[in-house]
Amino acid sequence: MGDDSSPPPAPVGPVTVWQPDAVRPPEFVRRTFRGFPPNVRTVLLHARGDYAPWEEGYHAAAPVTGPGEVVGPPDFVGIGTQKAGTSWWYELVSEHPGVFDRPDLPKERHALSRFVTEPFGPAQVEEFHRWFPRTPGTITGEWTPEYLVYPWVAPLLAEAAPDARLLVLVREPVDRFRSGLTFRLSMGAPDTSATVADAVRQGFTARWLRRYLQYFPTDRVLVQQYERCRADPEGELARTYAFLGLDPHRPADVRREVNVSTRAKLPLDPGAEAALVDLYRADVADLAGLVPDLDLGLWPRFADVGSAR
Amino acid sequence: MTALGRLYASLPGPLARAVPVELRYDLRARLEAWAPGDLGFVPDPPPAGPDETTGPPDFLVLGPVESGARWWLSHVADLAAVAPTRDPDGAAHVFDRGCTEDLDADGWARFDALFPRRPGRIVGHWSADGLSYPWIAPLLARAAPEARVLVLVRDPVDLVADRVAATSGTRAPHGGSNLADAVDRGFAGSQVARLREVFPPEAVRVLQYERCVADGAGALSATAAFLDVAAPTAAFLPRPADGVTPSAGALLDPTARARLRALYAADVDRLAGLVPDLDLDLWTTFAGPG
Repeated sequence: MGDDSSPPPAPVGPVTVWQPDAVRPPEFVRRTFRGFPPNVRTVLLHARGDYAPWEEGYHAAAPVTGPGEVVGPPDFVGIGTQKAGTSWWYELVSEHPGVFDRPDLPKERHALSRFVTEPFGPAQVEEFHRWFPRTPGTITGEWTPEYLVYPWVAPLLAEAAPDARLLVLVREPVDRFRSGLTFRLSMGAPDTSATVADAVRQGFTARWLRRYLQYFPTDRVLVQQYERCRADPEGELARTYAFLGLDPHRPADVRREVNVSTRAKLPLDPGAEAALVDLYRADVADLAGLVPDLDLGLWPRFADVGSAR
Repeated sequence: MTALGRLYASLPGPLARAVPVELRYDLRARLEAWAPGDLGFVPDPPPAGPDETTGPPDFLVLGPVESGARWWLSHVADLAAVAPTRDPDGAAHVFDRGCTEDLDADGWARFDALFPRRPGRIVGHWSADGLSYPWIAPLLARAAPEARVLVLVRDPVDLVADRVAATSGTRAPHGGSNLADAVDRGFAGSQVARLREVFPPEAVRVLQYERCVADGAGALSATAAFLDVAAPTAAFLPRPADGVTPSAGALLDPTARARLRALYAADVDRLAGLVPDLDLDLWTTFAGPG
């Protein structure tokens, strides 16, 4: 049927200014819209030139800087990992009074995602900085979980934000795989080998982290375990705040996770699960070397990796 | 497949492409008109002739789209001792589901049934994903443990540039993961290393696409020797490298080329360590002093 070999249509339209709420439809229209299946919603959004930051076609220009705001490189960037609690953690970081988080800007800016084969120079760096408005005396940042598995982003980020601190939440890779694949399919991704491969790819944390460590010193990268954050959110959040140079702070409800999937995870046959553990074992061992305080006791499938260290 | 699915599958390309790209998978799923790569797709074994037997392939050709792997398999199939491949597009995708599901006896048998050949001839299978999707090579090794493995590699910067060019502008959702997929396919060094963990290293032969283009006759003779079949007797008849579009890499922005060169440099070094006869002078991006 030629789906995947279709000649590409004309390039996606002109760059648009970031105005997410410029024209807000009435509530009944929005309610009707939400009732459509995910892919029908996507078609309608694309028809009006509205692309999500992670989609091809997204090419929004940076937001207009507000009164009293200044722009510059982000002070922190969360780079991973998808389905490891990053929305929850970003909200907690943003609740700190020393962090500037403009509500109209997305947590995931994806501003560097498309620069695989596109030129990237001073103009693009300046444009990138405009994605990070803040008021004087505050810090700001974002969290694009896919950056970790986009190896081309690491040097771009080092060029555009050389002093940024990087945040990484990691999760036991087989659990992350099941959660990630369930999530992608629920969002309308086709049930194809490419979708599965994407979910597999995101679990090789050490492989991708090593790429960033070529460009950022280890003392500016904080790796935390999702499982430990769930067990001790107050303690782990204090570590994040301290890493970002923020004073101690206690958010109103530190245990209120966001974006938690309520869908049943995809089943995994025993042989396939064992093969996935084998697939990730060397990477987990490598991660344990990179992150000395990684607690493999929290990842029972990889307990033998821990004992071999 | 439903009757409507058969109708949809028979639509000419332009009509099928009239369906918005965002809805094509849903439509295929609803009509059970599965395409290769969809996890619902189950390949139909070709009918075996009366004097043919089936069994696991004797050799595998691994290399992504744009690597020239399919093109090279078509040349290998010209050898007298090689049976024509009934799945020349590598569309079988038998092991795609193997990441989440255990194959039963029927699944393994279905793979074997894809490879009929007459006595005295060998047959091959091209897998575009067998290198870069890491769960597939171990399953291939289990299905065809005696197979010899040809790996087609190409200048990774050209490979990724062509792949990005081929898929850009399609407005496909999840474009970022498509880019990551394209970039990931260029890390041939780590892929070959992984392959040699599941196949004996002596059963794996790496071919450079560029060498096959520059000296097709020599590369085909070397391939025949590796497969332990008679050397070609007819003159090598070059034909266009089907599926390979050699222009995007040359048109790449110089700064982007330099970034991609840096991205792949360590992996290319690793590949060169594994493949002593790799000729980096054939790879524009990596030729000359590093």
